[in-house]
Amino acid sequence: MNLEVVANSLVSGFLLGGILALTALGLSIALGVMRLVNLAHGELLVGGSYLGYFLLRMTGIDPIAGLALVGAAMALMAFPLQRILIAPLAGKGMEAPMITMFGVSVILQNLFLLAFSADTRAIDTPYAASAVRLGPVTVPEIYVIGFAVSVVLVVLVHLLVSRTAFGRELRASSSDAGAAAAMGVDVRRVHALTFALGAACAAMGGVLLGTAFSFTPSSGGTYLLISFAVVVLGGIGNIFGTLVAGIVLGLLQSLGAVVFGDGYRDLVGLVLFLLALALRPQGIVGSGVR
Amino acid sequence: MTSSQRSFTASRLAACLLSASLAVAATSTYAAGEIVIGASLPLSGPLAGFGNYQKWGYETAVNDLNKAGGISVGGKKMQVKLVIRDDKTDPNVVASNTETLISRDKAVAMLGSCTPVLVNAGALVAERRKVPLVAGCDPLGAFKSVRAWKYAWVMFFDEGDLSTAPFRMLADLGLSTNKKVAILHDNGPDGQVVGGKIWPDTAKAGGYQVVQNTSFPVDAQQFTTMIGEAKATGADIVLVDAIPPQAIAMRKQMAAAGYNPKLLVMEKGAEPEQFAQALGKLADGILVGGYWDPSFPYPGAAELGKRYETETKQTQSQHIADSHAAAQVLLDAIAAAGSLDREKINAAIAKTNKSYVIGPVKFDAGNTSAIPITVMQWQGGKSVVVWPKERANGKLIFPLPATN
Repeated sequence: MNLEVVANSLVSGFLLGGILALTALGLSIALGVMRLVNLAHGELLVGGSYLGYFLLRMTGIDPIAGLALVGAAMALMAFPLQRILIAPLAGKGMEAPMITMFGVSVILQNLFLLAFSADTRAIDTPYAASAVRLGPVTVPEIYVIGFAVSVVLVVLVHLLVSRTAFGRELRASSSDAGAAAAMGVDVRRVHALTFALGAACAAMGGVLLGTAFSFTPSSGGTYLLISFAVVVLGGIGNIFGTLVAGIVLGLLQSLGAVVFGDGYRDLVGLVLFLLALALRPQGIVGSGVR
Repeated sequence: MTSSQRSFTASRLAACLLSASLAVAATSTYAAGEIVIGASLPLSGPLAGFGNYQKWGYETAVNDLNKAGGISVGGKKMQVKLVIRDDKTDPNVVASNTETLISRDKAVAMLGSCTPVLVNAGALVAERRKVPLVAGCDPLGAFKSVRAWKYAWVMFFDEGDLSTAPFRMLADLGLSTNKKVAILHDNGPDGQVVGGKIWPDTAKAGGYQVVQNTSFPVDAQQFTTMIGEAKATGADIVLVDAIPPQAIAMRKQMAAAGYNPKLLVMEKGAEPEQFAQALGKLADGILVGGYWDPSFPYPGAAELGKRYETETKQTQSQHIADSHAAAQVLLDAIAAAGSLDREKINAAIAKTNKSYVIGPVKFDAGNTSAIPITVMQWQGGKSVVVWPKERANGKLIFPLPATN
């Protein structure tokens, strides 16, 4: 195979991995802090794609420039969702919230269908399909933008968790919710804010993926599976672990594509997911919110 | 649990079962004097773009007939009720929908879904239940390869005709290329037939060099490596067989990779209008096999296109035509049979010999009726027939406009 093709594929995989990390981050912190297996994560991501799409169509605001708006809008919708549906199930094990989120996933898919039809859409911006030359390699411009945006957002989330009062409460709630509550932490509020933060990350990742690829009301399932692989590889709740895992997965998927063909990308991802579960369930870096 | 609790739970369960069975009974009984026809369609999932056109085509044919008084059965005029169920682009759901439409909804006959994997899944159930099923949207080779059909009938194009069209067009219009062909196709049944066999065979027979032939799963979104390989080969001709989400993602990634072949064909995916809407200017110049346009000289063709655009405020698609014709063939057969006996309806379908909105329909021994192929091209958000010359309503853009 042509060396340029290999280099292009690997650099593209590296960059796309950064975007995958952002999409998985919300799932990771929800799982790390709230022990919530958010099966509606893919739909929150697709919801972000729709928000970005209509933001551009109706207001002309570039979806990358308006990323904070999309994140804030999704967080505002997610906060009451957690309060109404998930909070009452606290202390009832992991199954009830997981099944609830499965129901939310189905409902959201159908709402997308009703509201936006089943049409395939893509966020059409000039940089969505233009190329950037990085030395000898040519990669899609949206991958470069997406990677940069994702790394910045992951670092911001890390700073939020490690340097703020909310982050301290979040980490305390993650380590021992009972002890945190005894020390005066409003665990319910922390959980709702964590869920909203995760949904915002998913939505912002959805904007990037909706610009790079295409989306339909039922696209969420594919991204949920990939996000799970990233979370398991990176360690549940580990913010930088998620970034590393996203990049590793992106690179290995591209390596799989180079060796076996593009059709085997997901196979490589899922084999890695199973291997990580079997050999290093705590992830590459280790689990726990940090 | 106490005995009173148990008895309360049991009585609640019985009440639930009773209300559920009443609900089932309510849905399975339609007004007397109605002829029920069933259809399972992809109204959600990746093929929803096709399903919504089909729904309009089926409903329009049935509504028109009902407005005209219905069908005379045994000397009594009856209205037709079309029951449509969403198959979510899942062949397993098509099979269960078909079973439900036949057994619970009491459909006397069926209309098909879209693409071989879905149409054939429903046709197999209909065949087993000896219920006539008429469909478009299923390339004939893929349909005939499943089995010798008795109750399932398809009117559509033949894969061989479709797959050889770009090469015939290249020769016919004397288009200059380096004769290098890259083929990228999904691994669905029709993708394997068209991309895995017919395209490479036709290319080789026509003196073209197939420099790449790569398949991918139908839900893939990343094609960076295969596009890089195609670009490295310098192929002037790229033939893609993929459904809309994949075709859209692939086109964007081709542009992002700076790959501008001279000729780009995207079968299946480039058919619905949503393809051009999602891609904007990137859709310009892309070719897709077609079989119908309102400009064709068939009865009702121009009116059907206009009606669709007036009613839905969307651009027409060829799928409104094959679905409309499929419904009309079935309705005509029920009228000709003058009976709700499925064997009589099936025998009447076999005798079909009439011009519909898609042209003449006459079934062969394999229960198929072929629609001749044309090549269409997206130009400024509109689908234009560019080949063959005698049917063209626009001029071919060649080479494909550069994007970077």
